[in-house]
This record gives sequence, C-alpha cells and structure tokens, in this order.
Amino acid sequence: MRDVDGRRLTFHLAGINNQNFLMRDQETGSYWQQISGTAISGPLKGRQLTLVLSDELTFATWKAEEPGGMVLKEAPQYASEYEAKDWDVRMGRRPAVIQFPEHGMQSRDLVLGIQTSDASRAFLYDRVIHEKLVKGYVGAQPVLIVVGPDGQSVRAFRDRIPGVDGVSDFYRLTANKPGVLLMDAATGSEWNFQGCAVSGKAKGTCLERIAMLKDYWFDWRNYHPKTTIWGLALGQPRQK
Amino acid sequence: MQRSDRTRWIVIILACLAVSLVSVAYPLYVIRPFRAQGARELAAALLVSRFGPLLTAVSALAAVAAAIAYWRTQAPGLRRTLVAASAVLVCVLAVLARANVYEQLMFHPLEHPAFAAATGVKVDSDDKLIVVKVNGSARAYPIREMGYHHVVNDVVGGTALVATY
Repeated sequence: MRDVDGRRLTFHLAGINNQNFLMRDQETGSYWQQISGTAISGPLKGRQLTLVLSDELTFATWKAEEPGGMVLKEAPQYASEYEAKDWDVRMGRRPAVIQFPEHGMQSRDLVLGIQTSDASRAFLYDRVIHEKLVKGYVGAQPVLIVVGPDGQSVRAFRDRIPGVDGVSDFYRLTANKPGVLLMDAATGSEWNFQGCAVSGKAKGTCLERIAMLKDYWFDWRNYHPKTTIWGLALGQPRQK
Repeated sequence: MQRSDRTRWIVIILACLAVSLVSVAYPLYVIRPFRAQGARELAAALLVSRFGPLLTAVSALAAVAAAIAYWRTQAPGLRRTLVAASAVLVCVLAVLARANVYEQLMFHPLEHPAFAAATGVKVDSDDKLIVVKVNGSARAYPIREMGYHHVVNDVVGGTALVATY
C-alpha cells in the first residue's frame, strides 16, 4: 500500500541497490527498497509499506478465477520494448554482483521465499514445480505450497484447516477433476487452487494465505541472511 | 577591480563546478546496474541525490553571478570565455541533477496506467501476471510490461498500492 501516515505517495523508479530496485516517492523524496518496502533514505527513512498479498499466475489460471478482473494495458509507445514472457529466465543469465554460494546455490537460482515473524525460508522453484505439493515449516509456521493446474502458478497457504485441530495432511489428487486440486485426510474435503474447500466437511472453508516472493537466490539471501533452504539434495551440495 | 577580486570570482566558479560535478557524478557512479554497492557508499549517494538539486541550483546561481562580475571587469579573451563556459556548465549540471536516469533513459514510467477487461484483452494464456485482489476488485499486471515499467502506481478496490517488479 502507498498511503503512509495519511499521505498518499507516488513512486518512481529511481535507482538500483545490488540489483534490487530503488523507488523514490515524489511527495517526500524518500528512497524505498523494492524487496522490503522499507524507506532507506530521506524524511521517511525507516518507514515500512504494508505488503498487499499478490500472486504470480498464468493468464489462463487468473482469468478462470477472475473473469471480471482488469488487466494492465500495454502502453503502445513502449510495447516494442516490453520484455519476453520468459523474462526471469533471460535475466537468470545475467551476472549477479553479489554472491552467496553456500550449499552450491547459484546467484540466479530462482527461489520462492517465505518470511514469517521468526524465520525465513527459500524453496527452490524448480523443485517446487517438480513436486507440485510441498509441505513444510518456516519457523513454527506450517506451510503448504501448491502448484496450480497449469503447472506454473504457485500459491502458499498455512497448512492448517481453520476449525480443525491437528495436522491436515493434504495430498494432491491425481485425477484431473476440474476445479479440484487437493484432498485432505482430516476432513476428506476437496480443495481448489484458491485454497478453498469445494466439497466435504470443510466445504466453504478457505486456508489462510501466506505471502511468498519469487526471487533470485542472491537477492533473497541478501535480505534474509538467516534463511534456510528447502529443496537441496540430502547430504550433498546442489548439482547444476 | 583588483586582480585578487577576479581571482576570487574564478575560485567561486571552480568551487561551484566541483560541487555540481560531484552532485551529478557520484550518484551516477554508485547507483548503477551490474556494480556491487556497499551500504555506506549507497547511503552517501542517496544523500547526494536528495540534496543535489538544491546544491546545484545554488551553485548555478553563484556561478552565474560570479561569471557576470568577472565578465564586466575582464577584457575580452580566452579567460573570460572559459569563465563563462564554466558557469554554463554549472547550469547544465544543475539540470542534470534533476534527471532520473532510470525513468528518462533506461525505462519509462507509466504515468497513467490504463486497464482492460480480462475477457477482452490479448494476452497469451501462459503469460505470467502479478495479480492482486483488494476489496473484491481483481487486478493483473503482466510481467512482460512490469519487467519494463517496474513500478505502477494504482488504486484497487479503493486501496492505493504500488505494483513493483
């Protein structure tokens, strides 16, 4: 959100800090770090923008969920300069200026980062896409990472069913049933990619969403120095 | 006018030129892609960026005033021309200090973002989008566009937000 202390801020791209963008608000001239939403210089230094939960989805998946949604239109004068659809893959070939080579990680490895109040964790993107359903913890928070029916869109949820005690034990349905992706052992309910039960005892219940950031390893690690990693091969560094 | 007075004007102009050069060049040097930045040098560069417009404006005024004073007392010749050129350069730097390289040269901002209905827009089905839903309003920002503009100021469902990528 861009309202701070009752003042609406207008942001501009203003620079770069170790390959993470800086924004400048035109009202106070403060500089803000893109990844953290924190003002790092200027009158609002130290202030934090409130994160709005977002997803990275394919157009087909989003359109099916939100047929009444609105899409940012291309600006015709710049359309020829727009990026290719595999922008993050192309950027992955660019050199990174900071390195965190622990556990064999490459700077441009894509990760899905989750930060909770007491911990942070980077889930290797390729592994998540391969596994399709990941159950784990970030600190004390049980998380469920789900790959959508398109095999590319990913969402994260708190791995607990509201109103149901104990472990939920989700598993992925192998049959291709429209609008249904998961089932849980605790209630026997069927769940869709939006994290809502569409049948069974839990019908109408939705899982709590968890914010997740798709990022390059070097950037995530730079701002989350205590992060753990999910998806490494057991007992050995990652092989490229 | 004494020779020492003319020397004083030259010193003022050179000082203004030095301040303006640093105000423009230092942030450009530090805040650039494919270069690692330390926390201290970045903080210094951002400080210079914030106060650069003011510093260079004051420098430009002082340089122009000093150049006029020098011009009036110095006979035509190379020195007078160099002093005038220096003052002009300080003015040019004052303009450059107000430039946002990232928005004016490398990328372009989307000053007035426009939106189209999902059902009527031409987007490939496998194109990725950053999507939000606020107070029942769903909005999507295609990554192809966000990878270029990077920042879009928007209001969704009555909530002002900035989409970044």
